[in-house]
Amino acid sequence: MAAPATPAARDWEALARRARWRRTAGQSLLIAFLVAVSLPIILPYFWMFTISVSARTGGVESVVLWRASSVLVPAVVGFGILRIFTDDRRRLWAGAAAIAAAALLALLLLVGRDLHLQNYRFLWNPDIVEEIRGAATASIQFPSVWVAFRNSLALALTQTALVLFVSTLAGYYLSRFQFPGRGGFLQGLLVLHAFPAMTLIIPIFLLMYWSGLLDTLTGVVLVITTLELPFSIFIMKGFFDAVPWDIEMSAMTDGASRRQAFLRVVLPQVRVGMLAVGVFAFIKGWEEYVFVRTLLFDKQNWVMSLYIFWVSEDIMGVDYGIVAAVAVFYILPSFLLYIFCQKFLVQMSLGGIKG
Amino acid sequence: MARIELRKIRKQWGEVVAVEDLDLVIEDGEFVAILGPSGCGKSTTLFMLAGIYMPTAGELLFDGIPVNEVEAKDRNVGIVFQSYALYPHLDVRRNIMFPLKFKGVPKAEAARRAVEAARLVHVEELLDRMPSQLSGGQQQRVALARALVKEPQLLLLDEPLSNLDATLRLSMRTEIKRLQRHTGVTTVLVTHDQIEATTMADRIVCMRKGRIEQIGTPEDLYERPDSLFVASFIGAPPINLLPGEARDGRLAVGGTELELLGAAAGRVILGIRPEALRPGEGGLPATVLDVEPMGRETLFLLETPLGQLRALLSGATAPYGAGDRTAFTFDPEDSILFSESSERRLPDVHVRLPA
Amino acid sequence: MAGYGATSRQRQRINAVLFLGPACVLLFFFFIAPVIVDIFVAFTDMGRTLRITELTTANFERMFTRDRRLAQTLVVTFMYVLATLAVFNVTFGLLLALVTTAVPERVGGFFRSVWLLPRMSPSVIYALLWAWAIDPNERGLLNQILINTVGIGPIDLMNDHPLLLIVVANGFIGASMGMIIFTSAIRAIPEHLFHAARVDGAGGLAIVRHITLPAIRWPLSFITVYQTLSLLVSFEYIWLITDGGPFYDTTVYALYVYKRAFESGQYAYGAALALMLVLLGIGLALLMWRFFDMKRLLQTPRIEVH
Repeated sequence: MAAPATPAARDWEALARRARWRRTAGQSLLIAFLVAVSLPIILPYFWMFTISVSARTGGVESVVLWRASSVLVPAVVGFGILRIFTDDRRRLWAGAAAIAAAALLALLLLVGRDLHLQNYRFLWNPDIVEEIRGAATASIQFPSVWVAFRNSLALALTQTALVLFVSTLAGYYLSRFQFPGRGGFLQGLLVLHAFPAMTLIIPIFLLMYWSGLLDTLTGVVLVITTLELPFSIFIMKGFFDAVPWDIEMSAMTDGASRRQAFLRVVLPQVRVGMLAVGVFAFIKGWEEYVFVRTLLFDKQNWVMSLYIFWVSEDIMGVDYGIVAAVAVFYILPSFLLYIFCQKFLVQMSLGGIKG
Repeated sequence: MARIELRKIRKQWGEVVAVEDLDLVIEDGEFVAILGPSGCGKSTTLFMLAGIYMPTAGELLFDGIPVNEVEAKDRNVGIVFQSYALYPHLDVRRNIMFPLKFKGVPKAEAARRAVEAARLVHVEELLDRMPSQLSGGQQQRVALARALVKEPQLLLLDEPLSNLDATLRLSMRTEIKRLQRHTGVTTVLVTHDQIEATTMADRIVCMRKGRIEQIGTPEDLYERPDSLFVASFIGAPPINLLPGEARDGRLAVGGTELELLGAAAGRVILGIRPEALRPGEGGLPATVLDVEPMGRETLFLLETPLGQLRALLSGATAPYGAGDRTAFTFDPEDSILFSESSERRLPDVHVRLPA
Repeated sequence: MAGYGATSRQRQRINAVLFLGPACVLLFFFFIAPVIVDIFVAFTDMGRTLRITELTTANFERMFTRDRRLAQTLVVTFMYVLATLAVFNVTFGLLLALVTTAVPERVGGFFRSVWLLPRMSPSVIYALLWAWAIDPNERGLLNQILINTVGIGPIDLMNDHPLLLIVVANGFIGASMGMIIFTSAIRAIPEHLFHAARVDGAGGLAIVRHITLPAIRWPLSFITVYQTLSLLVSFEYIWLITDGGPFYDTTVYALYVYKRAFESGQYAYGAALALMLVLLGIGLALLMWRFFDMKRLLQTPRIEVH
């Protein structure tokens, strides 16, 4: 081999300087990039919230938005810096508390007077749209928001229960049993999983019409459940696949039947999977729009997505404080679920693809 | 080639200290093995030499110049990983040429050097294969070629033999040693296998819990271990260790007393290697408890007044059977004493069987 | 057999019905049956009254020869799918995955969950956010920013650049899918490869090019096919944000199908148009088989008792 580069010829000092510079500059640049591209996502949510707690007829809310931002942005940046430079847990908490207190105080001083909950009066006043537009001009007689809320909850919950029940059973069977045509069934399911159900909306509408399920919550629940199935069956099958065979085999040698082994021994092992599938199904049911818009007409059958849609259609130009408040009310359940169950959901979307 | 110096090197992950105050000089062209049980910080040390990890404190010098912050890509070191880490999408030739791509070596010359490096490790006929088509031993050789092709000033080997089967390991040991002699590159080998370390390296650095226990030649570590840890880590079958009490020129061990040569007092631990024990008239009376044939040698488990001892005798056929009574003796120079409290060796202290 | 209850064969049948029955029934009625119904209805004259009076191929003649609007729709669809896919769903998704895995894990995780937020929000809300953001008067969020920082505006995205609007609005959601898949693919690359490349002299970009990108070739093709399909068939956000307008400027094929059926009441014609999407969907879904680990999927169960 040829002679090596003489080490003395290398300018180690310069290399170290460059590395140092690259590390700090590189990381800051990447984080700055992430902040820049994420602002367009965070800001509108914040804007909606701001409108909902500050809009009156007049338009102070943009002042509120920028004042609040001028407090919150430094607070968040300050917290980030604190995190980077403090390893000590107690100091971190103290620092965070101080920043939060300062931000709260500043917010109170700057925008406190402009905040109010008047826009949330739709929660106790069922005739809100008529009140705003005048009964004569409102195009539709609106039901109370609680009717829509109850329908949404019923739809999402029954849908979740159904999806869980059906996909757990099927997932277990596909994971653990051999039967003629199993390969074909799984491949077919895979095609359905990738196949876009949205294209079937016309025939589904007709089937509902012919079977008398049109404009019933039951019909919508069945449809949405089925469309979720290929995905959730695969997820559940994946979780069952991960349960060791030994557990089941030893349960069966201990005298349990196959069904008892499933209920007592295997099912408890896939609780995480069921939680994930359940949360995901709930969020899907809660947000569903296209199918409910197509399959439900009667105002007493409205779910939250239809309620907010018609509210915004009707009074967006007149009073968008109320629209924003309804939107905040509607997004809250899925938002909270998302925050608390994030880990499962991310796992899920991966599991779903890997099959 | 380079002379490597570590001065009070320390590596911490949050609160966890992986390597603590490491002082070590590796001479130009030397072959050094870092030996220790898993989790002792040996791989962390290696990765700091490579520039993959940055030391938390201390100074790392290449030829007297600090390189702590120089990036891995600028250090001109070659490394062979335990898993070989061949790039799966590149064939053998491109794998070997990969490092040259970033050194601005012209394509034709890079190709020539790749062939040269492949020839050096006897894989020239595999140049057009993909890594997935190679056996473990072949991947290992390719990884070596890739590490050597850039003519590194430092070659790092991270447990390079642990994924190979026993016969292959033997031949690769010789092979790597030959390559190191041939290229004269400063080499650091990390291993948990004492045989690898003793057979390949000029010097061994024995580490435990992030600290250096002893630095020395294989003979040093075997014959004059500085500590109880080194004594018990090196040597197979392991050294016999017997607790005792030194007083007035005598050492009380088990149910008997030995004559103390040199000054020692208090609680000590006596170490005698199995291969230092041999049958001898007038020695320790011993009852053979068990016989383990080990091929060319035979291991005896003995009950003696000192306690239970392992003795290793050469010869495939055992001169004694279980239950036989005989006598064993050893040379005073083969006995090692350690202080029980500090676990360090008591230099120039030995014991002799009473006449 | 009396002492042992049902025979194995009987138990096998009962188990199949018990475990797989509910799924089969639902999947048949709302997945398989609709496909058949769609094919059937496409060859009828079903209109607003939902009655069928004759079987005909008129729908297909109209589709291939007389529907001028369709051609425009196809152009819009092509541009929309291509732009969203190229800019957001693949490129930007990959960029997000690369960047969020290059910064400390906590930071990266935070930004990934920010990007997943639109996907998890109800679609009506997401559309509302856009309505407020692009409000053409000075109160619109975008206009406030433009006027106060750049000093231009107010602009009216909805009317002036509707295609751009739907591409960005769908792209914000589409990018998160690629981001998640690519992130997990990057995580699956053995760490030693990155270390080896760094020691071999590769810098950040070279590592991306020589280590990361080759390792995520399969996820990359998967995402491309999968997202092409979902962009082609989904019209929810476009429907909510622009409603296909102004005029027909953002009416993509899937939305056109929906409107023909449910707004013009031409159910048969809609079914015929949808049939094209169904066929395309089946084709691409079959293509996607290639990306699954079939061997693992079809692994034979190990207990033979039922």
